[in-house]
Amino acid sequence: MAEALIRTTGVGLRYPTGRLALEGIDLSVSAGELVVVLGPNGSGKSTLLRCIAGILRPTSGKIEVAGQEISSLVGRSLSNARMALGMIFQHPCLVRRRSVLANVLTGTLGRHRTLATALGKLPASEESQGLRCLDEVGLRNLARQRASTLSGGQAQRVSIARALAQRPRALLADEPVASLDPEAAQEIMRLLRRLSREDGLAVLCVLHQPEIACCYADRVVGLRDGRVMFDDQAANLPSCQVAALYERLAA
Amino acid sequence: MKPPVETLDSAGSRALPFFGALAFLVVLAQASIVVQARPQDLITGIHGMADILRRAWPPDIAKLPDMLWPAVETVDIGVFGTAFGVLFALPLAVLAARNTTPARPVYFLARGVVAFARAVPDLVWALVFVTAVGLGPFPGGLAITVHSVGMLGRLFAEVIEDMDMGPVEALTTTGASRVQIFSHAVVPGVLPSLLGIALYRLDENIRSSLVLGFVGAGGLGFQLLSAMNLFQYQTVSLLLLITFVLVMAAERMSAALRRYIG
Repeated sequence: MAEALIRTTGVGLRYPTGRLALEGIDLSVSAGELVVVLGPNGSGKSTLLRCIAGILRPTSGKIEVAGQEISSLVGRSLSNARMALGMIFQHPCLVRRRSVLANVLTGTLGRHRTLATALGKLPASEESQGLRCLDEVGLRNLARQRASTLSGGQAQRVSIARALAQRPRALLADEPVASLDPEAAQEIMRLLRRLSREDGLAVLCVLHQPEIACCYADRVVGLRDGRVMFDDQAANLPSCQVAALYERLAA
Repeated sequence: MKPPVETLDSAGSRALPFFGALAFLVVLAQASIVVQARPQDLITGIHGMADILRRAWPPDIAKLPDMLWPAVETVDIGVFGTAFGVLFALPLAVLAARNTTPARPVYFLARGVVAFARAVPDLVWALVFVTAVGLGPFPGGLAITVHSVGMLGRLFAEVIEDMDMGPVEALTTTGASRVQIFSHAVVPGVLPSLLGIALYRLDENIRSSLVLGFVGAGGLGFQLLSAMNLFQYQTVSLLLLITFVLVMAAERMSAALRRYIG
C-alpha cells in the first residue's frame, strides 16, 4: 500500500450555531490514487475539503497532509504546509487581466517570499517551470494570452497548472467540472486521473455526478449529513448505494 | 397557468399613481414658495442681463498672458488634491471595506473618517484651510485633498467590496503570504476600476478648484471674483472662456484615459 498523503482521523466540525457539519470522518488518499467524494447538497463535501485545505478548522479530530498535521498550524507554518496541497475550485479563480503564464506563476509565490514578489513582481526564475506546468495541461501555446480570453474548460486547466506550479503532493478539487460542458468535464477528469497515475499525486475530488465518479475514480466515498456512508473501490460500487445517498428522507 | 395578478389591478393600486403625482406637485409648490420664485422679475431682469453681456463683449484678450498663471494654478490645485486624495483614500478604503478590514472597530472608524471628509463641502474645507494656512492656492489644494478622500474613500471601498474573492482564496491555498495575496490578487483585480474613478475625480476636482478661488484659494476663481468686484466684465468673459476650455479639456482627457484603461 502506497503512503497516505491525505489522512483524516475522526474529523468533526461543529459551527458556532451548534449545527454539526462533519462528524467522525476517517478518510485517506494515497499517492497515485484518485478518490471522489459524492453526496447531496449540504452533506459536508465542500466543508471537508476546506478543512483539509486549512481554510476551515475542524473542531475535533486531526488532519495530516504528507505526514504533517495541518489542523493545528497557524500563520507562516500553515502557509508552508499549504504548499503541499494544490486546490482547484468550481470556478477557475484566475486574475482575468493577467496573462495565462502570470496566473500559473502565482502558484509559485509560496516559495518566493521576497520584497519584489510582495510588490507585485512574479518570480521570473520560475518561468520555464510555469511553461512546463502549462505543457502538462496542454496549453503551452496560450501562455501569453490574457486569462479573460479563455473558455471555461481552458481556464479550469490553467487553474490546474497553477496548482501544479506549487509542486504539490496532493490535489484537492471542489466540484471542478460543475460549470463545464460534458466534453470539457471529461477532459478535466482525464487530466486529474493522469496526474494521479503518472505523477503520483494524491487527488481528492468532490463531484455531483455519480456517472463521472465511477468512470474515473479509484475509490468513491459517499457523504451524507456530515458522515461517511460508504467508502468503496469504484469498480465494485453497488449502484443502489449511490442512489440511497441521494434519496430524500420521507418528511 | 397564469399567476394571480389581483394586487396589481386592485383599486388601491390604481389610485397610487394619482396620489404620487399629487404629492409631487405639493412638494414642488412648497419649494417654489420657499425660494420666493418670481418669474416676472426674471423677465424684467432680461434688460440687466443684456446690458452685462453687451459690456462683456468682446473678451479682453490682451489680459490673456496675465491669466495663464492663475489657469495653471487652478489645474494644479485639482491635480494636487486628486493625487494626495488617492494616496490617503487607498489605505482608508482597504480599512473601510468589509472584506479587507482587519477588525470591526477599525472598519467603523475608517468609515467615519471617510464620511466626515465627504459630508463637509469642499468650499467649507477651503474656508477652514484659508483661515489655517492663509490665502493662496495651498489651502485650495488641501480642501480638495480632504474632500477627495471622502468621495474616493467610499467609492474605492465599494470597488474592493465588490471584488471577485476567487483569486484571493485560490492564492491563499497556494501558500502565498498576505502581502503577496494583496499585490497579486487584490490589486490586479481592482486597479482598472480605481484608476477610472480617480480620473473622473480629477475632472471634478479641476472644476471645483475654480469655485474655491472665490473664498481666497487662488487660481482663476480668485481672478473672477476680483474682476466682478471691479465691474471689469470684459475680463470676466475672458475668464469664463478660459474656464470653459479648461473644463472641456479636462473632461475629454479624463474620458479618453478612462476608455484607454477600460
